[in-house]
Amino acid sequence: MSATTTAPSALDRLIGVVRRSPTFAVGFGIILAFAVLAVFAEVIAPLPPTLSFPYDTLKPPGTGRFVLGSDGNGMDVLSRVIHGARYAFGIALPAGTIMAVVGIPLGLIAGWRGGWVDEVLLRVLDVLRAFPTIILALAIVAATGQGFLNVILVVGFLDSPIFARIVRAEVLALRNATFVRAAVAAGNPEWRVLLVHILPNAILGATAQLPLRMAWAVRISATLAFIGIGVQAPAPEWGAMIRQGAEYVISGEWWVALFPGLALIALVLGLNLTGDGLSDLLDPKRRATGK
Amino acid sequence: MNIGRFLLRRLLVALPVAIGILFLTFMLIRIGDQDPVAMLAGPMADAPMLARIRAELMLDQPLLTQFWGYLGRLVQGDLGRSWQGNAPVTHEIAAHLPATLELVTLAVGLGTLLGVPLGLHAAERPNGWFDQISRFGSLVGFSLPTYWLGLMAIFVFFYLLGWAPAPMGRVSMMVTPPATVTGSVLIDSLLAGNWEAARSAAAQLVLPVGCFTIVATAPIIKHTRAIAIEVMGSDYIRYARACGFPRHIVRRIALRAALVPVITFVGSEFTSLLAAASLIEFVFAWGGLGHWGLNAILLGDFAAVQGYVLTLAIASVLIFALVDLTVLLLEPRAQARA
Repeated sequence: MSATTTAPSALDRLIGVVRRSPTFAVGFGIILAFAVLAVFAEVIAPLPPTLSFPYDTLKPPGTGRFVLGSDGNGMDVLSRVIHGARYAFGIALPAGTIMAVVGIPLGLIAGWRGGWVDEVLLRVLDVLRAFPTIILALAIVAATGQGFLNVILVVGFLDSPIFARIVRAEVLALRNATFVRAAVAAGNPEWRVLLVHILPNAILGATAQLPLRMAWAVRISATLAFIGIGVQAPAPEWGAMIRQGAEYVISGEWWVALFPGLALIALVLGLNLTGDGLSDLLDPKRRATGK
Repeated sequence: MNIGRFLLRRLLVALPVAIGILFLTFMLIRIGDQDPVAMLAGPMADAPMLARIRAELMLDQPLLTQFWGYLGRLVQGDLGRSWQGNAPVTHEIAAHLPATLELVTLAVGLGTLLGVPLGLHAAERPNGWFDQISRFGSLVGFSLPTYWLGLMAIFVFFYLLGWAPAPMGRVSMMVTPPATVTGSVLIDSLLAGNWEAARSAAAQLVLPVGCFTIVATAPIIKHTRAIAIEVMGSDYIRYARACGFPRHIVRRIALRAALVPVITFVGSEFTSLLAAASLIEFVFAWGGLGHWGLNAILLGDFAAVQGYVLTLAIASVLIFALVDLTVLLLEPRAQARA
């Protein structure tokens, strides 16, 4: 997208991105760090996440082999927090994919054609607006079974209409643009107008939203696990670990709940920063005026 | 402008949405694999007894018949019985709602008092140091799980410092609670002149309200800032500036224009926090509507889940109507449209 005559090197581009949006750089850095933890969890974690030392329960951080302490089952908190990154990405990536795969076509059709698809989408959005998604997610997962796959599907599909609304708004704004009319007038078939002319322009706004929606997915799946629905302990999932730690907080064993919470906050913050920074980077208006 | 007609139209639009929500929850909890009959009857029940209970609860009927029956009783104000509490759902809701309202109203109220001025101040110099800090702060607030924040607050202020009372309920078990008038223990004890109970109730409120306020403030800062920046960049503000008005007058004009979208946002915030309250109530054993609804979902208490969801839906419709009404009174353009 740069207008310079000489193609900038990859490093130059990277520096340019960092300079234009430090927010994005920091956020993306956090995500990358967690991605490394998730991929190399076995190598990085000092102990297996569900290995229990029955005589070493609730050891404070720094005792012997437990860098961040041990939990009520005598499992290593640090190793469990590291492995928890796998669950977080295990939710965020597939749920984000579902949102994009369902939401983008839905938003395209609703925005372009209008008609009953649009009508249904708007009504569903009405329901979602009046109906807090957290309660809906809770009720669905509680009713339909509590597997990991189920949580992914519920979170992904619940958020698809919201994603569709973002795409729809972009399409509505583009529908009467001169270049779109020109494309129609030139005799392009409808699918071609949608895919070649509208989609590339509408997708920018949607891309910036994706990390924000993924942050939501990570949060809500952890919340479900905290309540005791979804992923169950002793699986090293952050929400489930906070749930385990909740009972020890009153008696002063703070480390069991603190560290998974910090990891959760860091990753969600990273995703939010990335989304925030992306909308700065992608919005030509903000780019022109320096925000 | 006819306010009555406006509200009626609002209600007519909301009705299908409410029925849709009810239908969704109704089917969802019944399609699921939770079986309340086995739970109610206990482990000793035999097959005929299970069948009898099933018939009594009309769970052996086709789903649509059950739904029609439910709607029919709903119109008469009967929401069915909660199985866990063995009481009419309407009574349970009335008993639990004030505790949640107390929590959410305080948090949203404080969040607005904090968030709106902060957002406005941040918008005065976009990308200034104050804006950067408040932007980062609100992103952190966005990322904080309420329940975790509550747990950490309990550890620091109850266990470590001993400043806060035990996170169990709305009033200390050592004091005699006041007679229920409004349902808010604090207000009730003030009304009764029971200072001991009032102090205990206030002390119990501090931690949950504090945590909830942090979570409520973050989005309010963010949206107020965005709204204010848009207003400050608009033509009429530029015009007002060009006219040479002093800064405080320009600010007043901007504030008035920003008020409407800010109020709309705070309204939607209230609705979503009403549901999110269940988590903070869970951590602080608050015993409000959210806590009750959460338990109902976990235990498969069909009538209670429906009642809970219906209450949330009605609350959101009422709040949006209230917001629209306020907007109508504040904004001449909306009056012309209505």
